[in-house]
Amino acid sequence: MQPIITIRNLSKNYGEKQVLREINLDIYPGQIIGYIGPNGAGKSTTVKVLTGIIQDYTGEVIVAGKLLKENLMEIKRSIGYIPELAELYDLLTPREYLSFIGKLYHLEDHVINERSERMLAEFGLLPNIDQRMDSFSKGMRQKVLLTSGLLHNPSIVILDEPLSGLDANAVILVKELLQVLKQEGKTIFYCSHMMDVVEKVSDRVVLIDKGRIVANATMAELKDGTGNSLEQIFARLTDAGNASSKADSFASAINDRSSQPPITHE
Amino acid sequence: MGADTEQLKAILLAKLKMDDRKPIAYRKAKEGKSYNYSTLLNMLIYAVTGLLYTFPLFIFTDTIVAMYGYFTIFLFLLTFSLITDFSNVIIDSSDKYILVPRPVNDSTIFLSRNLYVFIYLLRTVLPMSLPGWVVLTMSHGWPTAILFPCTILLMTFISLFLVNGIYLLILKISKPERFKNIIGGFQIAFTIFIIIFYNLMQGISRSSAVQNLDIHQYAWIRFTPPYWLAACWSWLGYEAVLPGTMWLAALAFVFPVFCLWFTVKFLAPSFGRKIAAIDGVEVHELHQPKVGKRSKGNLAGKLANIFVKTDAGKAGFMMAWWQTSRSRSFKMKVYPAFAYVPIYFVYMLLLNDEPLKQVVAALPQTKIHLFLLYMSAFAMMQALNYVTISDQYKAAWIYYSAPVDVPGHVLAGAFKALWLRYCLPFLFFIGSIVLYIWGADAIIDIILATVNVTVFTVCVMRTTNRSFPFSQKEQMKNAGMKGFFRGLLTMILIAAMGFAHYFLSVFWWLKTLFIILSSIFLWLVWDSCLNTNWQVIAKGEDD
Repeated sequence: MQPIITIRNLSKNYGEKQVLREINLDIYPGQIIGYIGPNGAGKSTTVKVLTGIIQDYTGEVIVAGKLLKENLMEIKRSIGYIPELAELYDLLTPREYLSFIGKLYHLEDHVINERSERMLAEFGLLPNIDQRMDSFSKGMRQKVLLTSGLLHNPSIVILDEPLSGLDANAVILVKELLQVLKQEGKTIFYCSHMMDVVEKVSDRVVLIDKGRIVANATMAELKDGTGNSLEQIFARLTDAGNASSKADSFASAINDRSSQPPITHE
Repeated sequence: MGADTEQLKAILLAKLKMDDRKPIAYRKAKEGKSYNYSTLLNMLIYAVTGLLYTFPLFIFTDTIVAMYGYFTIFLFLLTFSLITDFSNVIIDSSDKYILVPRPVNDSTIFLSRNLYVFIYLLRTVLPMSLPGWVVLTMSHGWPTAILFPCTILLMTFISLFLVNGIYLLILKISKPERFKNIIGGFQIAFTIFIIIFYNLMQGISRSSAVQNLDIHQYAWIRFTPPYWLAACWSWLGYEAVLPGTMWLAALAFVFPVFCLWFTVKFLAPSFGRKIAAIDGVEVHELHQPKVGKRSKGNLAGKLANIFVKTDAGKAGFMMAWWQTSRSRSFKMKVYPAFAYVPIYFVYMLLLNDEPLKQVVAALPQTKIHLFLLYMSAFAMMQALNYVTISDQYKAAWIYYSAPVDVPGHVLAGAFKALWLRYCLPFLFFIGSIVLYIWGADAIIDIILATVNVTVFTVCVMRTTNRSFPFSQKEQMKNAGMKGFFRGLLTMILIAAMGFAHYFLSVFWWLKTLFIILSSIFLWLVWDSCLNTNWQVIAKGEDD
């Protein structure tokens, strides 16, 4: 099978600082990729490259057999992006915002309207479809953002912390939605810090640290019979050190006492 | 007054430090040098503005009346700038997650905001008051030189606490969630009112009536703060015509202290809580719209389908239409500009020494309607400038991730929305006045002016404002000399266009010819705007 996304030697610098170092990655269609890494590891930069927001990188990004740099608009059309903590124009109503987004993706008015109503209805937001979003809670905004990212029926969906602010029912809905989208053959690039969710939903987990991919495997391969959780694997691979010792030092600093060696359990 | 000075100091230091760092973040390092230079030039502009305020000092022989005139203008303009530029700072709720959860009391939060605004105001007020200080020191000697800065400080306090008092009162009596709307409406109305009042006052003060002014007829001015400030000069031995002036001077000192005490004591206690509630997260089901019934906003969609061909253009059109009709900051900056045009026209008429009736009766013989028509270009320019600016500029990420092939289409769509929503109705309104006064013959002037104003604004968009709608952050400090010269150049170009039209007025067929030529030119420039590519957008962001 041909990969739907191929990344070859992708590097990106911000001035002196190298954020991405020679990233190589193949993503196959119909997969859910859990893209994880510590803060500042380069996750968001990778996502911004894939969505065409950052264009001054070195290396090659090929999406559906086409070079991203040369087919930017065509590839953007096939991608649905839901950024982390994204701002939206909250003076607009969800219906207006989605009309605006729909037009940017060249959708017909009736398609935008029908899809918006049906998608928002599933999120329980239909009664609010004509209310301005400036009074919306974080979760409500997130639901509108999710809808806006999927409105044009993209074949690749890039989600950055999509569950942020959502209530328990919406979280269940999104997790189910990911499976349905996967069954429809869509590729999902899922960035998150919520290890338990990544562990459950992902077919493959890609772990990035200090701009390099340090692991790229299925959950079973990562566990390798150890029975460790993704959280433990993450801590081991990203050099997080001994968390309980750090927690103790932290608490010591609050109480103005010297750090005690961590209590070890037999 | 119940404020924690240590916390107050910490908050102020943090805010000022953030402001100091802003220019470095926004400008490139290589431009660092020009920063000080532009601050100096800004101060120079303030000083020149301050020089304009001094005209009552030259007109009136009575010192107290002259000072009254000076303080009235200064106080009004200061209040104006406070309401338009600093309101957002006073009622800013963005730091609610930083300050409100901490053990910081309302008085401290309230005072920290006010002191912060006060420090900023002083940066403006000091250079503005400098010409007044020089003029007064030269004409009245050192006692005035010492008294004047004190009264300027008091004036700043009065302005600050008056505005605050009104805001806090509204907060007290209104629901916090509705506060922003009320304040928005209040700001727009007040801005327009200030402009009307200021211009009419100026018009009146320059007319012949001023020369024979009898202050006794205006005894009510004793109850206004500028008079109390002016009354301080009675302590220096300057004779006051109105009785009780010396006593009133005490009010100049007592009033700001009273305002401070009153606002902190009675109104500030609920300040933090109310401010935090301004962005209420609950959704009010007051007017639950029926599902399936499209909102009024659909008009934008229909118009976009009629006037714009491309989808990206339609998106830009709808965005500009909806946002401009709802954004408080946009309305505050742009609506007064539209109100200014007819007001300035009336002001020009008042400048005339002839009685108003005669001036109006003689209007059809003049070509002054061209001035009125071309003035609308200023208002449209203001709309064009502010359509790119938003507090939510970060929401513009969508333009970059969406498949927008030619960004020019979005910009052109937004321009069409502005033109249809603001320029056309306004020119229609102005045109109706012109037709009423100058008769049907003026219709050709209205058409030529409309085409020319459109050409001009499209040219401006072509050369300067090539950013997505609502994608730029507004900076607290103005653009300095670049903005000043740009404004000056705009003024010269519009005036040139108006004069060219005036000289064309000799032959009607010449005007018709120019309507055709201007339309062709418009078509060419429009085409170039429409093809704005990503490189140009990126360049605009770097500037």
